[in-house]
Amino acid sequence: MIVRILAEDQYDLPGKYIDELNSIDNELVELVEDGNATDFNPKLEEMLNMVRKNGALVPIDELVESDLVLPNSDISFEEATSLFKGEGLIPN
Amino acid sequence: MGMLSRMTMIVKSKVSTVLDKAEDPRETLDYSYEKQMESLRKVKRSVLEMVTNKRRLELQAGKVEAKVEKLTSQAKEALNAGREDLARIALERKRSAITELQALEEQLAGLETEQEKLTHAEQRLQSKVEAFRTKKEIIKAQYNAAQAQVRIGSALSGVSEEMGDVSIAIERAQSKTESLQAKAGAIDELIVSGVLDDPLNMGKDEIEIELEKLSSSSSVEDEMKALKDEIGNDSTKQLEEGK
Repeated sequence: MIVRILAEDQYDLPGKYIDELNSIDNELVELVEDGNATDFNPKLEEMLNMVRKNGALVPIDELVESDLVLPNSDISFEEATSLFKGEGLIPN
Repeated sequence: MGMLSRMTMIVKSKVSTVLDKAEDPRETLDYSYEKQMESLRKVKRSVLEMVTNKRRLELQAGKVEAKVEKLTSQAKEALNAGREDLARIALERKRSAITELQALEEQLAGLETEQEKLTHAEQRLQSKVEAFRTKKEIIKAQYNAAQAQVRIGSALSGVSEEMGDVSIAIERAQSKTESLQAKAGAIDELIVSGVLDDPLNMGKDEIEIELEKLSSSSSVEDEMKALKDEIGNDSTKQLEEGK
């Protein structure tokens, strides 16, 4: 499974990690719904670190489409919230 | 829908659907390559803009720093002259100049990080575009319609995704600098219209004028004293002579 971390790199992540990704993803959604800005970025960092640790870096000269795109590590809570409101990454 | 699927959707929606446009896939390759070069130019320009913005802030910070130093020496001078009131004004101004300086430094650090990210994005896209160009030439040379479609598809979506990533990086960087520029612009306007005292005013301020008055009045006093002494000596002499 090819995973991209925005503004970073692409990783080839073994399929067995998909459940772990999904469960952190669900936790992130809950944090956004609860308006919990404090725990959001650490949780996101946990997800990104999991990918960085277990994924193999895709060589830079390889052209491959990602199956999943993960937000950049410094995404703000406001940006994440607007992501769910369907406004996209850049709030107007 | 989870966070990841949304993010994935957004990035993919940034990917232009150039693939279906041209009848001959080889044209698609060239067209996409042009778009990639355009994207690369855009990110390079963004990096340059960032450098300009940083330089502007650095310049402002330098001026505020000089102001802080000046206010410190003014406070000393005022105290030496026994004008505690003036020294207090100078120190109060120094406080607010320092606050301003800290804010500028924070903004500078923010721009620094943003510039690093954009530079990273630029280098990545550069490598991807080069890889695409090589691949494009190979596909064109060994062109076989049936196979080409598949190979073009994967090369295109790979590089297009990179362009999507870069365009998000550019947008984020721009929205950050825009608010910064708006703020700086608003302050400039207030200064021009005279509503706001120029905080970076390097001309004479009232503390300086007061201090100058002090020093000129003290030099007048000095001269007066010197004159008096002279006259005094003279009159003493005269008195002595007159004895």
